Amino acid sequence: MTHRETFELATKTLRRNPLRSALTLVGITIGVGAVVTMVAVGNGARASIEEQVVAAGMNVITVVAGNYQMKGEDGGGGVVDHQAWFDAGPPDIALVSSHPEDDPMEKHDHPTSRQRLGDSAAGLGAAATLTGADAAAIRSEVRGVQYVSAGVHESARVVRGDRRWFTRLHGAETDLSRIRRSWTFKHGRFFSSRESEDGDQVVVLGTVAHQRLFGGETNPVGAEVRIWNQPFRVIGVVASTNWATTGAVGDDQFDAVYVPLTAVHRLLNLTKLNSITITSRSAGETTNVSRAVTALLRQRHRIGDAHPDDFVVRTQASVALGKGVSRDVARAITGNAPGLEQLTLEQLSKTLERSSRTMTLLLASVAGVSLLVGGIGIMNIMLLSVTERTREIGLRMAIGARSRDVLTQFLAEAVTLSLIGGLIGVVLAIAAASGVERVLRWSADVSFGAIALAVVVAGAVGVFFGLYPARQAARLNPIDALRFE
Amino acid sequence: MLPLIQISDLSKIYVVGDVKVLALRRVSLDITAGEFVTIVGPSGSGKSTFMHILGCLDRPTSGSYVLNGRDVSKLSSDELAHVRNSTIGFVFQSFNLLSRTSAIENVELPLLYNGNTCAASERRQKAMKALSSVGLADRAHHHPNQLSGGQQQRVAIARALMTAPPILLADEPTGNLDTRTSIEVMEIFQQLQRDRGITVIVITHEHQIAEYGTRIIGFRDGRIVSDAPNPRARLASEELEQLPAPVTEVA
Repeated sequence: MTHRETFELATKTLRRNPLRSALTLVGITIGVGAVVTMVAVGNGARASIEEQVVAAGMNVITVVAGNYQMKGEDGGGGVVDHQAWFDAGPPDIALVSSHPEDDPMEKHDHPTSRQRLGDSAAGLGAAATLTGADAAAIRSEVRGVQYVSAGVHESARVVRGDRRWFTRLHGAETDLSRIRRSWTFKHGRFFSSRESEDGDQVVVLGTVAHQRLFGGETNPVGAEVRIWNQPFRVIGVVASTNWATTGAVGDDQFDAVYVPLTAVHRLLNLTKLNSITITSRSAGETTNVSRAVTALLRQRHRIGDAHPDDFVVRTQASVALGKGVSRDVARAITGNAPGLEQLTLEQLSKTLERSSRTMTLLLASVAGVSLLVGGIGIMNIMLLSVTERTREIGLRMAIGARSRDVLTQFLAEAVTLSLIGGLIGVVLAIAAASGVERVLRWSADVSFGAIALAVVVAGAVGVFFGLYPARQAARLNPIDALRFE
Repeated sequence: MLPLIQISDLSKIYVVGDVKVLALRRVSLDITAGEFVTIVGPSGSGKSTFMHILGCLDRPTSGSYVLNGRDVSKLSSDELAHVRNSTIGFVFQSFNLLSRTSAIENVELPLLYNGNTCAASERRQKAMKALSSVGLADRAHHHPNQLSGGQQQRVAIARALMTAPPILLADEPTGNLDTRTSIEVMEIFQQLQRDRGITVIVITHEHQIAEYGTRIIGFRDGRIVSDAPNPRARLASEELEQLPAPVTEVA
């Protein structure tokens, strides 16, 4: 018999007892289904975390002007996060740096540049400590730096016709679009380095601003909006590639508009920066680069050894892990790693590795147990089948089947059972994974490798647990088998 | 001309616990191609053991068995399987058809094991031809439980003929059949012997059935006690004509 015929015969035989065959393969189905689903969810979670980490920029270093002394565990970092502000009330900050615009319900005129950037009130956030020259120095003198974008952060009312939206305004440089790896342009583009240098009055809208000003559907490129009573031409709309961080109202990145830094400086008559955003060439260099930046700025600002920095250098790891990721995942990670801000990247990756190893171990044991149970089920049914079909075996031998033929036949039945069970398990797992994705909003990633492995393992289980019954069948003596009642 | 079957000094000893049972005691026998041999004997006479050895299902303890010019008494079990497939067609008392399997699929079975792969369509064709030769072409897709006993035995005969073996070995083929269907089966055997020259060997404990053979061999206590030609063998076809018309079988 050819292999095809052998398997055709096996399927035909199994179809003669459909209920029993179905019940037998349920064990393998559940085993394989559970494994593939869990691998998918596990992969999805890991991919989601990694995506978050990369999207938030593991290699991103932010230098914020001024050095706020924080009290308590979390105040939102150096830049006042106005969303957190009205979510939670005033953060517990010793030196409160409040802007008139922190209360969006209050009507107010546009404050002067001095009030906004604190030139006149050094110490209150001491926001006047970073300059364009600092940014240029970082770009040219620190090794391992990839991109640098100096920034000014404002809140502004953006007006289009009769619609107005109060939002964050970021004065930025071209490189920002390269630093923000999770960005994708829904319409248009980011401003070019030429527009940036010339201080053109062009604006890129975040999705939320786009939604509020244009209804979200229309392509706004080329339209004109007014900021500070000045006309700005819309050149792009920026959205997130990551479903977990789609912009919401109050989001710093997508409930925002981006304008060339030079334009902001010119219009507000400023030279100071609020922040400098830097990326290191590789995530592993981040710690070194941030140290070098700290040293360079202290030297440039002539800060003596006894004095604290007049700026804050932050890496994004802690921020990334606290935000965007599903709250449970974030809590699990940060809960396992107290003092996350102090963690180096190596430690962090070690933690991730350790938790993923635990997960893999868990999956492997679930897989092992369910496949073992499924395999025993197959063995049980095959033994029963051999006993029931003793006369059939005797007859087949009488008409010329060799022991080997009988062995193959029963082995093929066992393998067919386990493979069909495995394939049904894979189908169910794909369905379950997409269900999990839709209902629980978890990301699940059904990998081809996991499917292939599951099917191969299912087949191997069939061979392993089918071999004993098949050998029992092949060893039968034709005379005894024919006489068997 | 060499006999088709040459058996000399054949013995078979079973060991049951501490007791040795002599099932066959130095049996010698020649069967020529084209004979219709019936073997009769009471149960325990050794005729079943003899049939098993004759059918290459078992090996003798001593003695030789030359089948078709080849000594098969010392072949391995795989070689014996091949001999069974190519040389011997089996018909059993209890038919031994696979349940939940159509008649035609049952008939095809021997071709699955004959070593040279033949296409499924060719197998189907051959099986159909064999079924037609026993008058069951219209029942090809019925399952055994939808067929009468006689029909089931005819399917079994068709199966036995699939590899065109020179020998048909029937073990109590009428044991589960009524008189009329028994005669029908014997008619088929006589036809095969007469028209195709197949050597038919029927083992039975019924003397009436034995009388269809052209040679009757009696067994008792593991020995051949009688071996005589039967010049006035019963003719199944004639007997059938004299029987009252059969009740129409409803499938």
